[in-house]
Amino acid sequence: MIVLPGQKVADAAQPGQGVFIEDNKTYASTLAILRDGRVIPQKGQYKPLVEDFVVGLVKDVQFNGYHVDVNAPFESFISNRESLEEFKAGEVVSAKVVEVNELHEATLSQPRKFPPGTVIEISFVKVPRVIGRNGSMLDMIKTATGTEIFVGKNGRIFLTGGNIKLAIKAIGKIDAEAHTQGLTDAVKEFLEKNKENDA
Amino acid sequence: MSTTNPPKPLFREDGKRLSGREDTDLREIKMQVGIFKKAQGSAMAEWGKNKVVAGVYGPKEVFPKFLADPYKGIIAARYIMAPFSGAEEHGRAGPNRRSLEISKVVRHVFENNVLLQEFPKTGIDIQMEVIQSDGGTRVTAIAAASLALIDAGIPVYDIVTPISVGKVGGKMVVDLDKDEDNFGEGDLPMAFSLRTGELLLWQMDGLISRDELEDGLNKGFEAAQKVRVVQEAALKEKYGDFNGSDTGQN
Amino acid sequence: MVLILDKIKAEEVKALAAKGERLDGRGFKDYRDIKVDVRPLQNPEGSAMAHFGDTKVLVGVKVDLVKPFADRPTDGVISVNCEFTPLAHPAFEPGPPKEESIELARVVDRAIRSAEVLPLAKLGENPTEDGRVLGVYVDVYPLDHNGNLTDAASLAAMCALKNTIVPKIEGDLLIRGEDGGKLPLQRQATTCSFEVVSGNIFVDATDIEEIASYGRVSIGVTDDGFLCAGQKSGAAGISRDKLLELADLALENRKFLFSKI
Repeated sequence: MIVLPGQKVADAAQPGQGVFIEDNKTYASTLAILRDGRVIPQKGQYKPLVEDFVVGLVKDVQFNGYHVDVNAPFESFISNRESLEEFKAGEVVSAKVVEVNELHEATLSQPRKFPPGTVIEISFVKVPRVIGRNGSMLDMIKTATGTEIFVGKNGRIFLTGGNIKLAIKAIGKIDAEAHTQGLTDAVKEFLEKNKENDA
Repeated sequence: MSTTNPPKPLFREDGKRLSGREDTDLREIKMQVGIFKKAQGSAMAEWGKNKVVAGVYGPKEVFPKFLADPYKGIIAARYIMAPFSGAEEHGRAGPNRRSLEISKVVRHVFENNVLLQEFPKTGIDIQMEVIQSDGGTRVTAIAAASLALIDAGIPVYDIVTPISVGKVGGKMVVDLDKDEDNFGEGDLPMAFSLRTGELLLWQMDGLISRDELEDGLNKGFEAAQKVRVVQEAALKEKYGDFNGSDTGQN
Repeated sequence: MVLILDKIKAEEVKALAAKGERLDGRGFKDYRDIKVDVRPLQNPEGSAMAHFGDTKVLVGVKVDLVKPFADRPTDGVISVNCEFTPLAHPAFEPGPPKEESIELARVVDRAIRSAEVLPLAKLGENPTEDGRVLGVYVDVYPLDHNGNLTDAASLAAMCALKNTIVPKIEGDLLIRGEDGGKLPLQRQATTCSFEVVSGNIFVDATDIEEIASYGRVSIGVTDDGFLCAGQKSGAAGISRDKLLELADLALENRKFLFSKI
């Protein structure tokens, strides 16, 4: 059931993503789905959380580290101490969020440059769907395409090798249909049908 | 405002307004969400002959940096009328005093409506372009902007529902068109958060009594419910084929 | 731009407001001392300076012969402008009018125009042979911004219009210095502005109270009891009932305000 911003979703205070509390009642603040009494936002901005693995774009080089764009409206930083590797502006790296302050600004660690490949972006709210329960959806795509795929919590996805085009299309399908039932089966069918076409 | 121009008779002999509408009838309103690729959120509102497109960028970095608020996001709203938007001669491109004032009061609407505390030090840009005007452009712009913000996934406390009310031929009527705006006795653009009933926009020009103000506010609130239906339909059309049920697999 | 010290004082204002008090000890509905100097200047055709406590706003009115608007050849022209000169407050910067001064000018203009204080048809009654009509320019000049510029401006503007002496018109020429009579005013209008501070409504706010405020409602009222202008500014939302309360309060205050001019 689709929920619009301003709509009441609970008669008690139930804090979480995509909602706000007023007078001890919970209301949606973004477009969301109500499923099993849970509010699942369909839109939003990524806010870095400690332990998240993200795909970042190095924005600029400072004397003590790097400013990294993680597709969030907040600053992220990698200190020089984190790695002997040097990065240049415009390079794509994977990293782990180790600290976040009250302004949602993140400190990243374990930066690693990606090998040559492709980076695509989807809304971060769809990431759980791309990964699937216990990684099942992602494994299915990897197996069917032979592509190496790294899914950042921030909605950025790195792909290399194999049938990249098919992998991207499959992810695009999940992004567009994340809210539907039977998605896993639909993607399975899609991959099977198109395996030969896009090789 | 009435002047030496002979006031146009704004009511017909059958008591209806020139457009054929009753006092509380709205013009036809159509809205669409997510119409542009580049803007993070977008919407178009067609209200009578008015056409306004709205685009939202953000939350994003604020430039110049000293304008950023360390405690919450800031809103920049820009209302502009395209030089070809009016029915008469070519207008001038760019903002004028009227559009600057409107930009300001529209900004205030969304300062109250967006959960700004979730985005400290960032900014949200709301651009509203009037591409065709026929009385009620600011109200049309707000209707579109509210949907554009939601399309961008920016958290808000409610959909903002605007409406104009005015005094025409001695009566309070809803949704003024251009002639009624120019030749009537009063114009009250307003915008509600229908959830709380609060006004986020209220302006007035004209000469009315205190009781007429009350009548106008109430008529406006009633009519806003109908506008809300169109806004919700536009959102559901774009996002609403959610047929997730309780047994939906993940 | 808000000065640091003002911001700190504004926090004090909010705290006091929650306890039912104001910094200067006034009640929420009380005005500061109001005084309006009538015709302090000789060069403008009309002038007035309004003092609301320490706030001082000067208004000058100039009358000229102007080309009417193309679609209204027998209507006079009224134009209200406001200049926030850096003299009035350390945060005012030189340059083209910013949105606050534009908003103030337009709200004052709205009150005067909607109330038909000066009917345009009367102003344009006797066009010259070459089709020019009377144009009245109202220029609002805050000199000392200590809050509530809007109300001080509209009261000063009303007073200035009342004491404006129209220059004599002979043929196509305007002869300044010669008395051609007063403006054909038909009623009086002024504004009453309210600030929302910690959920309370303040009348005649100081500049610090304005910083502490979450929103403002300005309501134009006429001497014969009508509402002629409205502007909700700032982020605060307001219920219909509260708005009507403010309208009632504005109407109540008008006698006091008009008594000053």
